[in-house]
Amino acid sequence: MAYKVTEDGNLATIFLDGEIDMDKTEEAKELIFPHIEAGKEIHINLKDVEYMDSSGISVLIESHQKALESGTKVTLKEISKSVLKVIMMAKLEQILNLD
Amino acid sequence: MSSEKVNSIIENKDFLVHSSSLKDVRSFSREVFEKINLSQDLKDELVLAIAEAAQNIVKHAYKNEETQDKMEIRITLKDNELEIGFFDKGRPVEKDNVRHRRIDDVKPGGLGTYFIQQIMDAVVFKEGNKPWINHLVLTKKL
Repeated sequence: MAYKVTEDGNLATIFLDGEIDMDKTEEAKELIFPHIEAGKEIHINLKDVEYMDSSGISVLIESHQKALESGTKVTLKEISKSVLKVIMMAKLEQILNLD
Repeated sequence: MSSEKVNSIIENKDFLVHSSSLKDVRSFSREVFEKINLSQDLKDELVLAIAEAAQNIVKHAYKNEETQDKMEIRITLKDNELEIGFFDKGRPVEKDNVRHRRIDDVKPGGLGTYFIQQIMDAVVFKEGNKPWINHLVLTKKL
């Protein structure tokens, strides 16, 4: 299933959903990274993500770091309880931009 | 309607060593843990630990190579101790090389083993009995 993306000026909002594991990370990266490389501000909406493993967390870290290098910003929006738990287990709540 | 929970269990299943099997690994684990009286939070953590260990087999024991090999996952509950065994025929695990990255060294990758160690009480690599090459044992007192 393709993830939904909306664009509003310089802001791209990417809606991930379902279970984000190693099998889904390439699809997520292919969607997120071009927007970062284009210098857009990114919101990644995680409301409908039911499960995320270390591979999914790696995509969030890589997106965050790529955005910093490109002089833009990735913000995680409406983070589901299960994803927040994994972000906190990885001690990333002070590193990633959570909203 | 709540179903009766059990105090002991032995369940095992084979999975193709491939990233597309991880969804099935999680489904199997969730089905088994539904039979045990555990909090939802703990079930979610155990499913994550199992999926991370299975992912490590795909990524490290098989280096993401295409294979028709199967891995076996065996979940045992006895005397309130949960033991989860992983059996594979990939490259032998070099125990000294199995470590997670420093958690304050923020970069992609290296978190799966950290999650497993956070969730489980013990993580032990054994040599597998034939036909298996590797046997990983995760345990947790419930």
